[in-house]
Amino acid sequence: MESALIILIAAPLAAGLVSLVVRTRRVMERLQLGHAVVLWAAMAAVVSGVAAGDDVSFGTFLHADPLSAFMDLMLAFVGGTALFYAVGYMGEELSREQLSFLRYRRFFVYFDLFLFAMVLAVNLDNIALMWIAVEGSTISAALSVGFNRTKAALEAGWKYIIVNFVGIALALFGTVLVYYTSEHVLGVSMEALRWSALARVAGSLNPVVLELAFVFVMIGYGTKAGVAPMHTWLPDAHSEAPTPISAVLSGLMINLGLYAVLRLKTIVDPAVGPDFAGSIMVGLGLLSMTIAATFMLIQRDYKRFFAYSSIEHVGIVLVGFGVGGAAGVFGGLFHMINHALAKSTAFYAAGLVLLRYGHKNMEGVTGLLRQMPLVGGAMLLAALALAGMPPFGLFISEFLIATGAYVEQPWVAYGFLGLLVVAFAALVYPVFRMVLGEPKEAGLTLTAGGNRFAAVSLMANLVAMGYIGLHMPGFLRALFIPMTHVFHAMAEIP
Amino acid sequence: MSIHPDIGSQLVNFCSALLLLTCFAIIAQRRLSACVDLFALQSVFLAVTAALVAFLTGAYHIYIAAALTVVIKVIILPRILKAVIERLNVTRELVLNINIPSSLLICGALVILAFYITQPIISLGFLLTQDSLAIALAIVLIGFFTMIARKKAVTQVIGFLVIENGLFLGATAAAYGMPLIVELGVFFDILVAGLIIGVYTHRLQDTFDSVDTSKLTGLKE
Amino acid sequence: MGSVSGMIESILITVLQAVVILAVSPYIVGLIRKVKAYLQCRQGPGWLQPYYDLAKLFRKDVVASTHTSWIFTASPYIIFASTWVAVLLVPIFLSTVPLNFAGDVITVVYLLALGTFFLILAGLDAGSAFGGMGSSREAIVAALTEPAMILSIFAVGLTAGSTNLSTIVHKTALLQGIVTDPPPHLMALAALFIVTLAETGRVPVDNPATHLELTMIHEAMILEYSGRYLALVEWASAMKLLLFLTLISNIFAPWGIATEPAPVWMGFGLAVWLVKISALAVLIGVIESMFAKLRLFRVTDFLGLAFILSLLAIIFFYILRG
Repeated sequence: MESALIILIAAPLAAGLVSLVVRTRRVMERLQLGHAVVLWAAMAAVVSGVAAGDDVSFGTFLHADPLSAFMDLMLAFVGGTALFYAVGYMGEELSREQLSFLRYRRFFVYFDLFLFAMVLAVNLDNIALMWIAVEGSTISAALSVGFNRTKAALEAGWKYIIVNFVGIALALFGTVLVYYTSEHVLGVSMEALRWSALARVAGSLNPVVLELAFVFVMIGYGTKAGVAPMHTWLPDAHSEAPTPISAVLSGLMINLGLYAVLRLKTIVDPAVGPDFAGSIMVGLGLLSMTIAATFMLIQRDYKRFFAYSSIEHVGIVLVGFGVGGAAGVFGGLFHMINHALAKSTAFYAAGLVLLRYGHKNMEGVTGLLRQMPLVGGAMLLAALALAGMPPFGLFISEFLIATGAYVEQPWVAYGFLGLLVVAFAALVYPVFRMVLGEPKEAGLTLTAGGNRFAAVSLMANLVAMGYIGLHMPGFLRALFIPMTHVFHAMAEIP
Repeated sequence: MSIHPDIGSQLVNFCSALLLLTCFAIIAQRRLSACVDLFALQSVFLAVTAALVAFLTGAYHIYIAAALTVVIKVIILPRILKAVIERLNVTRELVLNINIPSSLLICGALVILAFYITQPIISLGFLLTQDSLAIALAIVLIGFFTMIARKKAVTQVIGFLVIENGLFLGATAAAYGMPLIVELGVFFDILVAGLIIGVYTHRLQDTFDSVDTSKLTGLKE
Repeated sequence: MGSVSGMIESILITVLQAVVILAVSPYIVGLIRKVKAYLQCRQGPGWLQPYYDLAKLFRKDVVASTHTSWIFTASPYIIFASTWVAVLLVPIFLSTVPLNFAGDVITVVYLLALGTFFLILAGLDAGSAFGGMGSSREAIVAALTEPAMILSIFAVGLTAGSTNLSTIVHKTALLQGIVTDPPPHLMALAALFIVTLAETGRVPVDNPATHLELTMIHEAMILEYSGRYLALVEWASAMKLLLFLTLISNIFAPWGIATEPAPVWMGFGLAVWLVKISALAVLIGVIESMFAKLRLFRVTDFLGLAFILSLLAIIFFYILRG
């Protein structure tokens, strides 16, 4: 099991380094596809190990407890399908001579390093080292966002850099504050930074310092997750980045930010009481949902549109965890993984539409179901999932969160449901317009190669979404129960 | 451990206050190269503060962090920034969103805010001096304000670096410095972040023909 | 009797201080010039040159415009006297000046303001355009520096609990710190330093060595003076520089100053004081060489910075120290 964890983390790093010296497209494709398969295999090993009851760890720093294993599952699965997709998408752009081989190669280096940083971050048992890994992911994402050399992409990249670097700095301040108080209890050493140690002594840490630390961490990592009002960079970055990156940003990086905040919440709750962090999260969550739903109504660029939808779903997860209780926590967790799947599917489809049409204007795209059946169908299903329709998992998670909210604070539940309705309408109507109807004249065609890889990733995602929605797999349940205890049990302590 | 605790903490306090003063000086400046020089000076004071803390508390790994500060923030990063300024041929901020006296008053208010926020925490810690954590937070907030109030990309970068300086001060003086491996990782990240920002500013200049970020208005809504 | 010997002692100390001031102020001016010269890779005028200049001026005839009034002839004496008395109120080698019953920091500021006021009038008196220009500029600078100066000294005074300079210095000296209470006092120090540069007509506010009338502030006002009048005005401005340097060194870092009137300690205090103000003079020389004179409308920004720093120093003191 330990070796599986090492492989899981080392694979993206190795792939990224090897990509630096790859000479041909064929080799790169084989490398990245192999990389994806290795990721899946390692992830399966780690997850089954943790689900069987034993945390997997290696050395002092690497430690996969149920929450880490859950994130590993998400990161590796979507990361793998994203790799498949990227091979197809970037290969298509390469064939069309839209980019040189050098840039094609550089793309995969950035992409692999990005995955490496994210996988590393969720498996580190150290709050400060986790920060370093998260900063690493911010940096590699920064390199990727401005990848297209257009004015809009550069502007998006600059905004991304400014807002995220400041956010990360604030998160570091919060981290320092946590260390400041844990030093007393655990001594001046690395031990004071370990999540597992912190969780053990959480009750005896100073509440005032932790409150301040949580605020900083919420703002800091919340910026990465796209929580309003720190979300201003997200629509630009997610829409201007190359589509495989958009998918990973919306699907995975958002969850990474949430992961960091949630880890700290498990420490803060025993010391301060669950209401402090909870009410902050509920407030920000509802704010995010409101802003997202409002702005989704006026979008014309379909990638930007899906980006705003991500902000909305981040809000939903925040409300879920903020409300707490078994229903809220379970709903939040389930929502995270389902959103990762659904949103990446939506972006995969959007990217293929972009390749076909050459523009991102929603008005100019109709009749996808007839013109590109797989893509249109995928987009339709993804949109329905994102809007919260059964039988997809998002319906269940939203239902659970609403129930949990109603038990605690009925008004929160009302607001939550109202915003969901708005978001539903805002999401479904434009997508229906894009998918149904008579096909418009598309300018470009896709080569078979690109199509094939992308198709694989689309199918994989759809299957996973459906599977999880209809039937809770055993390993997932095995992960959820200890995680719920970590979150829910905290709610019991006064 | 410490020889003259009183003189020592006085010196640390003195150096932290010097750091704060350089923040104000950066805000009061229009010339970009002067801002970079002030940032380098601030980093020197920061390194001195860190070395003092290391000397007084016997936590020797902080010496390494202080040395790294000198190398990265006093030598490498200012050189990169100066090269960017040279190449982009921007020398001063001509139009400020908020004029200098108002900016200074706002920074004063931010310092007071920082002291107010950290008031309940000060008594709880290992602080060598009362004010270090508050000054650190104040520097972070002032850096943040610099990023918002200035339009030239280079000044925004300097604001970001000032934030990092404040964080380092907070970690060093308030928490006896984080373990070495953490410090190393943080420095590495800052260096890479600085490099990326340098690269981005070049690309901005190439594409937009200016580094005035008020021209980046294409993406709205 | 104790009080008679005490009074004799006080008079002696005051006379000693007066003589020291007169003797040392030209030296400081000469020192700054030497530092600037060395930085420009030349020898510069000799160390005793300012003294020779003053002696020369006293021997020369006065040439005055016929359009001037009594203000023109009276001003040099008023300026000289007010500045001299103001410096007598500032502790130099002894922390409690015998004359301290006569005034506190506000008195000092107003004595200096009196001198400045008459200087401005004298500049206007001859009716020349340059004098008027210098006077109006000086009025702007003076208006902006006065509050900053008062506030920055208040910031230290708040810690000592008094506005009396002697009390401030005495209490601070007894504390034996390096710089007492850094954040507020450091800001006040920075503010006072900027005020020094402005009030004594140094770069970056005014260039004392300029020959171009359009760039002058202080020099423009004294353009019409010659002979002994010019000597008095120049000496007064040197004493003003000495006053500010002494304020900076003895209020913010008064270590070495004598706290009781024992000759040994006073001698030591005198020596330490000389070292401190020489160091400050060297610093000013370096700053004058490093920076260019600011354009007039930027001077207001610069002085605004000083005012805000001193204001913040006071606010910090209240907020931070409860």
